[in-house]
Amino acid sequence: MLFGVLRFISKGWVYQLYIEPEYFFGYLGFEWVKPLDGNFMYLPFILMVIAALGILLGAFYRFSAFLFFICFTYVELLDKSNYLNHYYFVSLMNFLMILVPAHRRFSIDSWINPNIRQKTTEQWHIGILKFQLAVVYIFAGIAKLNSDWLFEAQPLGTWLQAHHNIPIVGGLMQEKWLAFAFSWTGCIYDLFIVFFLLSNRFRPYAYFFVIFFHLVTWYLFPIGVFPWVMIFSTLIFFHEEKHQKFLHWLERLFNKERPAKTLITKPRSTSAAMRYFLIVFIAAQLLIPFRYVLYPGDLFWNEEGFRFSWRVMLIHKEGYATFYLHDKATGRESEINNAKFLTQTQEDQMATQPDMILQYARILKEHYDGKTLHYGDYKFKIEDPAIYARIYVSLNGRPSQLFVDKKQDLASLPYNLKHRDWVEPFQP
Amino acid sequence: MTTFNRLSIIGLLAVLILGTAVSCKPAPDPIPEFDKASLLVNIADNQIMPALDDFDAKIGTLETDYLVFQANPNATTFETARNSWKDAYISWQTVKIYDFGPIRDYALKGATGTFPTDTTKINNNIASGSYTLGTAANVDAVGLPSLDYLFYRNDALSTLMNSSNAMQYGLDVIQKMKTEIASVNSQWTSYRGTFIASTGTETTSSFSEFVNEFNRDYELAKNAKVGIPIGKQSLDIALPEYIEARYSGISLDLLEASVVGLKNAYTGGTGVGFDDYLLHLERSDLNNSIIANFDGILAKIGTFNGTLEEEIQNNWSELNDLYTLLQGQVVYLKTDMTSAFGVLITYQDNDGD
Repeated sequence: MLFGVLRFISKGWVYQLYIEPEYFFGYLGFEWVKPLDGNFMYLPFILMVIAALGILLGAFYRFSAFLFFICFTYVELLDKSNYLNHYYFVSLMNFLMILVPAHRRFSIDSWINPNIRQKTTEQWHIGILKFQLAVVYIFAGIAKLNSDWLFEAQPLGTWLQAHHNIPIVGGLMQEKWLAFAFSWTGCIYDLFIVFFLLSNRFRPYAYFFVIFFHLVTWYLFPIGVFPWVMIFSTLIFFHEEKHQKFLHWLERLFNKERPAKTLITKPRSTSAAMRYFLIVFIAAQLLIPFRYVLYPGDLFWNEEGFRFSWRVMLIHKEGYATFYLHDKATGRESEINNAKFLTQTQEDQMATQPDMILQYARILKEHYDGKTLHYGDYKFKIEDPAIYARIYVSLNGRPSQLFVDKKQDLASLPYNLKHRDWVEPFQP
Repeated sequence: MTTFNRLSIIGLLAVLILGTAVSCKPAPDPIPEFDKASLLVNIADNQIMPALDDFDAKIGTLETDYLVFQANPNATTFETARNSWKDAYISWQTVKIYDFGPIRDYALKGATGTFPTDTTKINNNIASGSYTLGTAANVDAVGLPSLDYLFYRNDALSTLMNSSNAMQYGLDVIQKMKTEIASVNSQWTSYRGTFIASTGTETTSSFSEFVNEFNRDYELAKNAKVGIPIGKQSLDIALPEYIEARYSGISLDLLEASVVGLKNAYTGGTGVGFDDYLLHLERSDLNNSIIANFDGILAKIGTFNGTLEEEIQNNWSELNDLYTLLQGQVVYLKTDMTSAFGVLITYQDNDGD
């Protein structure tokens, strides 16, 4: 996490993603989350660095974990153009880490206050983290059970062939069978790796696969720190004795006395409130990825119920969106230069995602409503304009199709979680 | 438990093998081999470097002819310099597509082709006689568009003959361009190796940059050369002050040269280009559509006889049709072609997922 945040800052993304843009695409219900002014936007990132250090060293652990969670989630809620499943994963894991006492041993907290030192922890502390990982993998696997992935080897086929110039194996990348092998292996890996990690017998082999799988994805795809997060997170599946050994080794580095061997105990000291909360949390995690069944139409095309569902690397969408400002009084029309309002990333994301298209239409209406535009000798006072769009999208290598037609004033449409029937139906 | 595990492993292997086997089964027609490296070599050697040489030479001729005019200003020498300017402007339409590597490093695109030119700024510079043409503030007072004003405004010849400051300004603009294209041209010789070796998929790779800049230049041509002047971004109110090369009236020639340059960038001339990549990816339909659109656009441009300004006044709906053709092609280039290549249209690295 520390590395991730530092990488984020060093690449200049704080500026590009949170200071440079003029408009932001908030999440429904969270539009009140606004960015800080100018360079103050670096503040949450600096706090995250401090908090990540705190978590790592076990210093003021709960506060650090809370601080990191708040800052990280705050930043993620600012703009859905930057939504990534693995950011959601980091947010969830962090939330769980607030609940789990991971500072009871080998930490600065326990050095300051030896009373909190514990050799034992409750089963659910580890169980809930395993559960979260299992959810990620298994739902990612289930999501891959679709015809594009399994029978067209898309979008992997497109992404892999682009690598045909890498040394030695480059020629293979253009082979269709390789794309199929990758697709099927990835799907089976995601579906079953958790069960192998849970089995004492297969765990070492399974972990080898974890490393291998994530290294391959790290090499081939621009997925940042995610492979490393998964490689290290899945270590939690190892038996506590392994972790104890490592901890002993670390403690010896710091010249501490060798502690007695300890194991996890299972006392039920957790409060009832916490237990109910965990039940709700688990249920939500299991249900949210399936919410798409409530919507008609094609999930990949409409993207209704797509986010927060571990649909990783499933779609390759490219869109071209032209928005029109329509003056109702005169019937005159202007094409909007999207670059005037959005960054390149925002424009790319917006062009293929209906909820963002609607949000953008509202941004445009708000910008132009009541404005007087001057063109040469002409003057137009724009009142209550309509915003139309014509958008073409290509999904998973198919020829592009009409996504949104110039039929409806997008700015007048309701923005909610209901099915969006103004998106043109998908023609497979 | 163990039996279950063994069974499941066998099951998984079976599925895996079956999956691969099924996918291998239909023996496909042999697909033409394709190699991004050879595309980059062809674009570098047969498109970019010849274009730079050509523009370099045309600016050289322009300088020579302008010096002759300066030494002996009359209608004949002026006309020769004007024609050299026109040739250089046409040649520039190809160079500007390749805005990466040294062309970007030297900010050549902005310094050479920014329009509409700011005539007030130019006149202030001339009046004061002291200026630094390389500043960002002067970007719309230099380059080929500034010469359009100096060479073709009303009484251009007499103004130049009567004002040594104006005469000198023209020379300074030309010599600035000459220095810059010479530097870029020599830099490209050493950059070539870097360019053809960068075959990866990251956004900074040569191939990604080429695809991105190709698309960007296409859209720029569509919007700046046609869309904005005919009023597509101003409630259908035509904006003649935004016309490229408004004083000389060669706007449509420049547009044609720009589209021809883009088509050649797409096909790679007779060598390896995007068209070959699409054929390799079994997207010949898409390639046919793109070629047909390019040809349709060029044919449409050929139907206009007047200057862009005249056509806006007399023939607006035909220009609107041309714009619709240009617009239709963007979908193929930016959406279909780019997604088929697996290139991200983005100017920023990301964390992906």
